[in-house]
Amino acid sequence: MSRPIAKKAAAKGEYIETDSGNKVSRRSAITGTANITLGGRTVIMADVVLRGDLHSTRPTASSSGKEGTPTSISIGKCTVVSTGTVLKPPCRMSRGAPNFYPMKIGDNVFIVVGPNCVISAIAISSHVHIGANVTIHPFAVIKENVKILPNTVVPGAMVIASGSVVGGRPARIVGEVGEGWGVSGGGAGGGLGVGGGSEEKWVEGGDLRELVRSIR
Amino acid sequence: MAQAFPYTYYACDCYDSNNTSSTKRASQLLQEADEDERTFDPRSPRANYSLYPLEHLLYCEDCQQIRCPRCIIEETLNWYCPSCLFEVPSSVVKSDGNRCTRSCFSCPLCTSPMQTFSLDMAGDVAPPFILECQYCRWSTLDIGIEFDKGQGIAAQLARIGNGGKHIPTNKEREKERERRKEIEGRKSRDLLSPSIESTNTDPDREEGPPSHDDLFSNLTAFYKSQVDAQTPSNPFSSHDINFSSPSAYSRIMNLYSTTGSKKNKRNKPSAMREAASSLEGLTIYDPANDAAAIERIKKEGWGVTLSPAQKHAQIDPNVRFVDELRPLATLLCTKRSKRCRSCRQILTKPESKITSTRYKIKLLALNHIPRLSIRALNATPPIPVASRTTDTLHYNALNPGMPSHFLLHLSNPLFDPIKVTLATPSTTPGRVQSRVTILCPQFDVGANTDIWDDTLSSSLLPIKRGSITDQAPQIEAGKIWDRGRNWTSVAVEIVPGFTDAVGSGVPDELEEDEDVLEIAIFVRIEYETDAGADERGPGDSRGGKGEKERREEAFWTVVGVGRIKG
Repeated sequence: MSRPIAKKAAAKGEYIETDSGNKVSRRSAITGTANITLGGRTVIMADVVLRGDLHSTRPTASSSGKEGTPTSISIGKCTVVSTGTVLKPPCRMSRGAPNFYPMKIGDNVFIVVGPNCVISAIAISSHVHIGANVTIHPFAVIKENVKILPNTVVPGAMVIASGSVVGGRPARIVGEVGEGWGVSGGGAGGGLGVGGGSEEKWVEGGDLRELVRSIR
Repeated sequence: MAQAFPYTYYACDCYDSNNTSSTKRASQLLQEADEDERTFDPRSPRANYSLYPLEHLLYCEDCQQIRCPRCIIEETLNWYCPSCLFEVPSSVVKSDGNRCTRSCFSCPLCTSPMQTFSLDMAGDVAPPFILECQYCRWSTLDIGIEFDKGQGIAAQLARIGNGGKHIPTNKEREKERERRKEIEGRKSRDLLSPSIESTNTDPDREEGPPSHDDLFSNLTAFYKSQVDAQTPSNPFSSHDINFSSPSAYSRIMNLYSTTGSKKNKRNKPSAMREAASSLEGLTIYDPANDAAAIERIKKEGWGVTLSPAQKHAQIDPNVRFVDELRPLATLLCTKRSKRCRSCRQILTKPESKITSTRYKIKLLALNHIPRLSIRALNATPPIPVASRTTDTLHYNALNPGMPSHFLLHLSNPLFDPIKVTLATPSTTPGRVQSRVTILCPQFDVGANTDIWDDTLSSSLLPIKRGSITDQAPQIEAGKIWDRGRNWTSVAVEIVPGFTDAVGSGVPDELEEDEDVLEIAIFVRIEYETDAGADERGPGDSRGGKGEKERREEAFWTVVGVGRIKG
């Protein structure tokens, strides 16, 4: 599922970069752009589907009568959404009609390499690492500093407490992330192979600014 | 947890050091001398327990040593439910056990969390309520339980048995016991006229064997009465000592008084008796129960029975069939602080608030130990994500017998430049022998100085990698490959061993993971730092700039390079 080299060399470039540094692939499928907010320096890769059109249809009583566009997906800073991932706001039947709830994703979330994540979580906090082929069912809540192993299915309405490692189908807590989760040792800046013993410049769950910068 | 190649594990030597310091015999001393020479074997069974990824290691600044999960002590700060994220006071944990007492339940079949749903047809939130698993669709309807309220499920569930039966509370059980005792007493008194009392007992209470909970409460009541009978003079039994009461005070005074009055008081204790009737918690084995179970399995097949994991998760150990399952209340989690086992210094201390993920104290090995990483030299410089798939393929199939080059990368988290010496056995242990040569085993790594130097320079010149020379680096013995502000990389030549050579020599097949190429590397770092810099605050850093202290650190690491093609 890697991007073909020829495409990268194209004159226009793979990504459209916005003023706030968001990089959105030209080959991503985004619907309902008005209902999506990106926090800045966030990367949306090729073949990602963002279903912004699935926004709440219920009249919002709390917003003091102000007519605003409802938000369906909001993504924080330095989050990377990898190829083939589908983000779909969770839906619940209420009084016979489907009602969609806004989905919130925090900062420095890495929905990793793996294509084909399907994510309907209601909230994903910061510093979360989601492996390949993960399915997250509607209304799951994922707190800070969580690692989701590849091929996991997180059942609906599951709350994953911060600092846990989950895996399996259905997902269960299989361990804890170490205290050093997301800490890039002594200022990772510069050089190759700073992260996790392998060759990445970034650390799982850590600051993804370097990674975002390197994607072009 | 399987990790993708390449990876680095750090060895904590706590097991060995604890072992030698505690008990030393002459033979052991001799052995120890040998062991100093010995190299770390990543394949030894013990290595499993001393290797950790760097993220999991802590560092004790007093002992100046790495601390792994085995050489720290944990202290529980507080308890909380991972599902509803409410804190549970420790007193409640003591009385009610380590499970959530709100409405958090997980499915007894598949362990995923259960949700409360209303069965109201009109779509309103109204009774009856049920718990349903969103993953496998098991619900409390399957065991015949409905709830009247949507909140406080745990309390409601404690009162409803499977099939909607009422579970008596402890008080009700006590009453029932009293009542039965009375009946039994009467029975023994007027044995001659059994017809009278048979009308008094209501029939529905007599049927069936007593449940697990009934038995337990009967037994505890019986033993409590036995213990009370043992110590009639003592106003407090051994299990509820109340130190603040005056009677306890007088008893303690009595213990220390020399008059010996206690001796004449004490009588020879009569032996405690065991439970003798079902009222006292005795169950007599009934083969009919087993026969019924076997009959049921014959009729309905294995489908109605439970898997071992499902059975273990249940609170009642005697559960056998799916219709006896109960939803499982969520187990509580803890927040823990960690201390060094030898000097008791606090290594990590999280903030006590449940929702906070910050730490008050956090001494990580990451900030004290250089980070070691390896990557293939011929691999394209990491364009993350996209190139990863091709790389992992490469690491999973190393060509045996073909010398290939890897880059060993060391980054320094310390604020002082370090001198590094690397050492590795020339061939890897085990049956698949790979040859390893570190081309430049001794080198310097720069200090982790102001991060802004690097950030500024890299933002201006993004191509600049901090190379010393402009020309492309070459693989040459005794020369480093590349270096930057606080990192240095050196080349390593690895000739992966032959996996099939093993097959010819030894009859049996390769064992699991024997074709994994792991290199043990001994890392020794030396550096000079301000003496006592740890004790001083950041404010008076100018104070003792003159005196320098030499420090040394040495540890084993295991680098997983890849899997040899078979």
